[in-house]
Amino acid sequence: MTRLTVRNLTKSFGKIEVIRGIDLDVADGEFVVFVGPSGCGKSTLLRMISGLETISGGELWIGDRKVNEVQAAKRGLAMVFQSYALYPHLTVRQNMGFGLKVRKESPDEIERRVNEAARTLQLDKLLDRYPRELSGGQRQRVAIGRAIVGDPQVFLFDEPLSNLDAELRVHMRAEIAALHRRLGNTTIYVTHDQIEAMTLADRIVVLRDGRIEQVGSPKELYARPDNVFVAQFIGSPKMNVCPVEAIRSPLQRAGFSTGGATQAGLRPEHLRIVDEAEGILCGRVSISEYTGGGALLHVELEGAPVFLVENSGDDAPQPGDIVHLAFSGSDLHLFDAEGRACHREPELA
Amino acid sequence: MALSQPQLATVKRTCWMLSLVVVAIPFLFPFLWMISSGFKGPTEIFGEPTLIPRTWRWQNFVEVFDYQPFARQYFNSIYIACAVTVLTLLLSSLAGYALARMRFAGAALLMVFLMSALMVPEEVTIVPNFFLMKWLGVMDTHVPLILLPVFGPHGVMATFLMRQYFVALPKELEDAGKMDGLSRVGIWWKIALPMSRPALAAVAIITFLFSWNLFLEPLVFLSSLENFTLPLALSNFTDPYGAPLWHLQLAATSLAVVPILIVYLIAQRQIIESFAMSGVKG
Repeated sequence: MTRLTVRNLTKSFGKIEVIRGIDLDVADGEFVVFVGPSGCGKSTLLRMISGLETISGGELWIGDRKVNEVQAAKRGLAMVFQSYALYPHLTVRQNMGFGLKVRKESPDEIERRVNEAARTLQLDKLLDRYPRELSGGQRQRVAIGRAIVGDPQVFLFDEPLSNLDAELRVHMRAEIAALHRRLGNTTIYVTHDQIEAMTLADRIVVLRDGRIEQVGSPKELYARPDNVFVAQFIGSPKMNVCPVEAIRSPLQRAGFSTGGATQAGLRPEHLRIVDEAEGILCGRVSISEYTGGGALLHVELEGAPVFLVENSGDDAPQPGDIVHLAFSGSDLHLFDAEGRACHREPELA
Repeated sequence: MALSQPQLATVKRTCWMLSLVVVAIPFLFPFLWMISSGFKGPTEIFGEPTLIPRTWRWQNFVEVFDYQPFARQYFNSIYIACAVTVLTLLLSSLAGYALARMRFAGAALLMVFLMSALMVPEEVTIVPNFFLMKWLGVMDTHVPLILLPVFGPHGVMATFLMRQYFVALPKELEDAGKMDGLSRVGIWWKIALPMSRPALAAVAIITFLFSWNLFLEPLVFLSSLENFTLPLALSNFTDPYGAPLWHLQLAATSLAVVPILIVYLIAQRQIIESFAMSGVKG
């Protein structure tokens, strides 16, 4: 186990800067997830950490060793790729032992470690098969197996579950979480799936345009986003954000102070449909999407963009119905003109 | 009476087979005629045409070896073709890998420059090549017959084929190799090459055939009978007046086909095996 330190890391392809001064500390045994939209630089950052991509500026430390110029294989890392990257001409056993063989470990040692990893991942019976003879989930397990036989200091996962179907993804997610609990290695995991990020991470790093927007635990990011981007990126369905001006009157009537905030945010799951007397906001349902356990309502508020509202139960309002919405003050998020969070609890006027 | 579904399928398949056999006849006939004539006497070849010889002249295949050092010439062709094939595979796969996978200044320009070699006919370069080989002191040796195909337009074509194949190999496999500690050469040798068996097989077949059929270069660079390769040797089965001895020429040609058939059969199996190999995802 080891810690990882990133200081002012930059990466440019020609004149285009894709990573713009990243600072990050990953503690021993921590599970850190990089999330962000496509093109935000999360995979590039992971590849820079792995050594597959050169570093244009800044410093990267693994433990007490600065590794900017150290080859990928000598950084003490192992990486699991999105497409598994199993060598198709080698069996599972050979795939898993390949790195050890390159490092000239003795055949007995290779055999022992491959068997141990195979037992951990329940691959014992698949060792003599070729990758083409395995299912997607089995291939992913082999890819993980190949990573763990090398006993790396840090695990790197680059969107490892994105090629799996939804059911298998949930299963593999649980397996990765269990594996991390068992091995306790420092892990960096890249995904664009925020459910994966929320369920696996000790801390999430939200990236946009090559910069870190916020680092924090899943709960912190959900409850206290630093800005509108993080507020809308974390949580599904995404947070409703509208100009404060559009709902200032109902907020004042309800006794909520908005201070100098210019934008207000409310999560769909924090909006409750209530009687007219208790309602703070009022609108007309334009679309009602059945989601199994309830419905996702698209509510048109006067002077504000359409708000999404999660309604549980079978008695969902129908399109055309007028609904009254309430929420608690602690669920109201306020942002300034630049989109930065106004970090204070909304107060009663 | 209406045919059942399996019967209908059998009839259809039989019709297809018969059609294919009919289409194959024009392609197979010259080959069969060559084999058949290899067993005929000189008079029978030009007599009433028959596919099966009236008298089987097995001694044609013995005379072929008595007439000139045919065994030696046969061996020359085999070892030259093997050397050219191995060297072409080695160099074209290395160059193709570099052009496909390594980013360096002028890579695209280099590729265009190499490809331009394909546009120059062999006959144009034979004279400068003659002087080059003379200057190197390798006239009447097999060196020109190995060097020219490897470094000439054929080598460029092989490099191009390998490059195209390497371009399509998943980059993540290379990354996985780097994470496992392989160098560039290691990735080429342990990952790219084993995964390129279809391309290697194709290049091997084309190269072996190219070298095996080479005629102009042996004609220009060789003068000793012992150094002749098969194409030159085959044209040498003539009587004292220069007229072809067809029965010997055809018997020798029949023998000359054997290694090509073997190479094709081996490589064909390899190609089919390699096709079955899947990519990284599935």
